[in-house]
Amino acid sequence: MAEKSILYDATRCTACRGCQVACKQWNENNEEWKTGQAKLTTNWGSYENPPDLSPQTWLKLKFIEVDRGGKLDWLFTRQACMHCTDAACVKVCPTGSLYRHELGFVSYDKSICSGCGYCVDFCPFKVPRSTRNVVTGIAKADKCTLCTTPALDRLAAGQEPACVKTCPPKALVYGDRAQLLAQGKTRVEELRNKGYSSAYLYGDKELGGLHVMYVLNDSPEVYGLPANPELPAAAVAWKDVMQPLGWAIAGLAGLGLVLNYVMARKAKIENGELAKK
Amino acid sequence: MVRMIERYRSRTRFLHWTNLCAFMLLLLTGMVLFVPPLWGVAAQGSWTRLFHRVGAVVFIAGPLIFAVVNWRATLESVKEAFNWGPDDIGWLKAAPRYYFLNDERAMPPQEHMNTGQKMWWLIVLFTGVVFGVSGGLMWIGKTTLPSGVLQWSVFAHDVAYIVVLPMFFVHIYLSVLHPLMTGVWRSMLADGKVPAEYVKSHHARWYARISGKQAESE
Ligand code: HEM
Ligand code: SF4
Repeated sequence: MAEKSILYDATRCTACRGCQVACKQWNENNEEWKTGQAKLTTNWGSYENPPDLSPQTWLKLKFIEVDRGGKLDWLFTRQACMHCTDAACVKVCPTGSLYRHELGFVSYDKSICSGCGYCVDFCPFKVPRSTRNVVTGIAKADKCTLCTTPALDRLAAGQEPACVKTCPPKALVYGDRAQLLAQGKTRVEELRNKGYSSAYLYGDKELGGLHVMYVLNDSPEVYGLPANPELPAAAVAWKDVMQPLGWAIAGLAGLGLVLNYVMARKAKIENGELAKK
Repeated sequence: MVRMIERYRSRTRFLHWTNLCAFMLLLLTGMVLFVPPLWGVAAQGSWTRLFHRVGAVVFIAGPLIFAVVNWRATLESVKEAFNWGPDDIGWLKAAPRYYFLNDERAMPPQEHMNTGQKMWWLIVLFTGVVFGVSGGLMWIGKTTLPSGVLQWSVFAHDVAYIVVLPMFFVHIYLSVLHPLMTGVWRSMLADGKVPAEYVKSHHARWYARISGKQAESE
């Protein structure tokens, strides 16, 4: 099946936060209200609210103020799972609750999450968040599933993701990745011609290709995105080197013991108890 | 009647049992994270991870309490584990012929701990510290520490696991299953005693040291 993607055009986004609301609503992320744990928000000097992602907030708008020679430039961007091809979270998830969806992005089956929190530690974008009791370790992670949460699966029902559906200026579109890639490139060309010389399409090559691509009118760093996101070295050392090596060592040790048993038994039967001093 | 010598005191054996149980719990609940299909459903709640924490407390507290109460004996054992000499090199050279071919002739005389046992002691000490430190960081620092520290903590925990697991098999094999080691397991897992004949041939130095004293019993 052709890979799907979301294309987010930051230059078209008006930061109405409709996507943020639609995401909460569709995914029933209102637990904080139901349990009375919701905190009143406070003004912390930005329209940005809530200030960070959480197990109950999978998508939020980020507001960035850039000083361009005394003139304020107000930039908006989206903060949510980037649905990497080389996803660190999938690599380190021991239970397979985070997995690559057949359409390319990273789905999540919360019911089998063991709460280890490795995805939280390894994601290059710091996306997954987890509830956690620090004493007992009881925990559950959460993140954007691109509307493929079981029983809330919009894609399987032939719908587009909730955030895309609700976006008034069509800054978010959903479709075939190849097509959106071409569309994003054209748009970046346009922006460059208009004088945004550092305009950039984020997600074409990053981490093997992201399934949420961003049209930016400045470099990724300005938008608070890592310029060269990478699979953490510890993930590679652990999963690709240490674990296979571990199997090999354990296997060899097992074989050695069996061999020893056979030889020592034979020697004992043949020589009697011991070749003594 | 065979003359028996006490090799491990009852409190040592008690500590060994406690730690064995804690270790097995940690081993199994950790293995679920390492190879989750092993236990399927069990790994899905946070249960295995909760039990891992229970095991960890016993695993760390047991030896620490023992070390405080029996500090002199503990210190001596640790010293012995670090005390290596020419006989240990000789032991390493002669060991394959002994363990594979039952040929004891080249084995140098040993103290209370032989070279192999000293190595196991060092591995247990080393991996215990690595497990404790990296596990403690992941337990307590999960929500506060920089992600890089947590990433390398899992890695360190896994390295310790991979070092200790095969060695643990070897340890059990040599003390319980090896064709020559009949009855040795009793020294730690049962009444703590081994035949005097065994001590004479396997721990000649120790035997010489204690036979002067009144450490033997019928
Ligand atoms: C000594 C104190 C120990 C502490 C405090 C500790 C703590 C932890 C913690 C916090 C984790 C991360 C997952 C979670 O949050 O539940 C973990 C994982 C693990 N532990 Fe331990 N642990 C200890 C000892 C051991 C021992 C002795 C073994 C094995 C013999 C072991 C084997 C493992 C394994 C295999 C994992 C999974 C690593 C992976 O995902 O590949 N741990 N431990
Ligand atoms: S952005 Fe983070 S959570 Fe999303 S797929 Fe990539 S590694 Fe996983």
